[in-house]
Amino acid sequence: MLILGRLACCAAGLAALSLVAWSEPAAAQRVIRVGQADTLTGQNLPELIAMANTEKRLGVKFNVIALKSDDVVFQAVINNEIDIGIGDAYKGIDTLKAPVRHFFLLRRIAYFPVVNSEFYKTWKDLNGADMAVHARGSATEAMALQMQKVNGIKFGQISFVPGSEVRIIAMRRGTMKATLLDLPNTRKLTEEDPKKFIVLPVETQSASDEIFYATTKFIGDNKDLVQALCEELLRSLRAVNADPQTPARLRQQLGLLKDLPKALVDDITPYFEMAVPGGLFPTDGGGAAAAKADFDFLIAAGRFTGQGSDYKVEDFWDLAPLNSALAKVGKN
Amino acid sequence: MTQIEPSRRTEADAAALAPAAAVAGTAPPIATEDGVIGARSDAGWIWQLASFVLVLGAWEIAGRWPISLAFPPFSRVMTALVEMTAAGDFTHAYAITLPPLVVGVTVVGVLGVALGIAMGLSRGFEWIGMPLMVVLQTAPIAALIPLLTYFYGVSATSKTAAVILLSAPIVVLNSYRGIRNTNASLIDMCRCFLGTRLQQVTKIMLPHASGMIFAGLRLGISAGFIGVVLAELLISPTGIGDLISYNRSIARYDKMFAAIVSILALATITLSVLQRLENRLFRPDHAVS
Repeated sequence: MLILGRLACCAAGLAALSLVAWSEPAAAQRVIRVGQADTLTGQNLPELIAMANTEKRLGVKFNVIALKSDDVVFQAVINNEIDIGIGDAYKGIDTLKAPVRHFFLLRRIAYFPVVNSEFYKTWKDLNGADMAVHARGSATEAMALQMQKVNGIKFGQISFVPGSEVRIIAMRRGTMKATLLDLPNTRKLTEEDPKKFIVLPVETQSASDEIFYATTKFIGDNKDLVQALCEELLRSLRAVNADPQTPARLRQQLGLLKDLPKALVDDITPYFEMAVPGGLFPTDGGGAAAAKADFDFLIAAGRFTGQGSDYKVEDFWDLAPLNSALAKVGKN
Repeated sequence: MTQIEPSRRTEADAAALAPAAAVAGTAPPIATEDGVIGARSDAGWIWQLASFVLVLGAWEIAGRWPISLAFPPFSRVMTALVEMTAAGDFTHAYAITLPPLVVGVTVVGVLGVALGIAMGLSRGFEWIGMPLMVVLQTAPIAALIPLLTYFYGVSATSKTAAVILLSAPIVVLNSYRGIRNTNASLIDMCRCFLGTRLQQVTKIMLPHASGMIFAGLRLGISAGFIGVVLAELLISPTGIGDLISYNRSIARYDKMFAAIVSILALATITLSVLQRLENRLFRPDHAVS
């Protein structure tokens, strides 16, 4: 009986030890799940640098997961499979009244009208011509509609071909003669054949491309974490704007994206040298001004109806973490 | 001999039909008393209705719970379906989606069946075609569909090619196996009556394989539906694929599910009609009156 009692005590002790050993790593380092559309490349270094610095400060771990598209990221956030989403959730918040709020503007949209110069050389030449954009209701469609107004022309047909990488294939093959492309693909195409592919002049866009967002519950329960992330994002983006070589340098220092192929590593600094003068990276985190610019853009795209004044910033943004971060890091 | 032959033929035919049913994905026929079959057919619709009520009821409850903001209840999806139908969304979408599907299935129906028959009759064609069809059948076509733009650009041709890629292996392999599984004793009988090779093919093999070829066509159409929707989602969001992707992007999940339900309903009705036609033409013992 005594032996049995000792054995039971030993078993209980072992079970308790194994439970402690099993649970301790989880308690030591909390994992924050971050979701974004598309795979990670050198272009994502500003946010990866900010996350790495936040990890050091707070002892948390950011696990960045690449998903198929922005709407899948939004679904993952509202289903609590992802803690923080990168993209935008305007339409989801508007339609579903989802308890989700944006809290930091990472990147403004940057699409460029690239045309085959054998057929078109100016905006006027595009009157009655077909224009290919990403998808119905997308930022590229909104831009195309804006360009019609600004240049006093009317496209023959606006066709939808998702993915800049797909559209440059069609441009090379000659099956597409005018399209809107993102910055890397614009560069790729115009460098391949600068005489054939040209970029038409376009005004700088102020609408958002990628914004950090999370559920109101997550932001409320993790005020310090969200504020610290905003602070580090501000520092990172300001460093990138001050010196476009910063991302490539910090990538090596912090050991980020170690498996990036050499071709993509070589593309990092040229990309930021093009993106920084284009005003892609805001130094103030967006906030109310970005939200209002986005309302106007979404109305132009046909995703929102009515006037910009019909929409309240607080229904889409939680400005508290950003304002606290700006107070700590400085306005500029 | 005259009494034994019919029973032998029936057994052999049943053996030949078994792999056909396996390929076609249909259950082999169960020989039972006529009365039992009749009773089961009468009760069948009740079970089918109960199945629908159970699944759709569970959907309604899950949507109202809600398990996710992105999962609307069935009633809201039906409301969206009616709204979209009234607005003409589906008329416009299917006018874009169906032509590549019809063209693709027609091409496969003619060339695929011809290739399958040729493979069944000729070792040379079998040697060339069989590996390609097996690879196509097992390949992750969804990963290959975006690559079609390299060859056909962003056009309806790419969608047609996607339909062909998905439906061709099923149609070709069913036709091939239909020919190959021809009852050897029937061919022997044809030889005994001094039938020519052409007569063997036209009088014995093709009639024998016709049921399996038709089953392959039916399943090919089913694969064609998958192909055209995949192409519209992965290459260019047009037609029904546009309704799905656009409504998902603007978080109108009720309309997104309504578009999915519409294509499911269209595919189910099409395949049910073809199944009934197949039963009437090739398996009259299973035809539903």
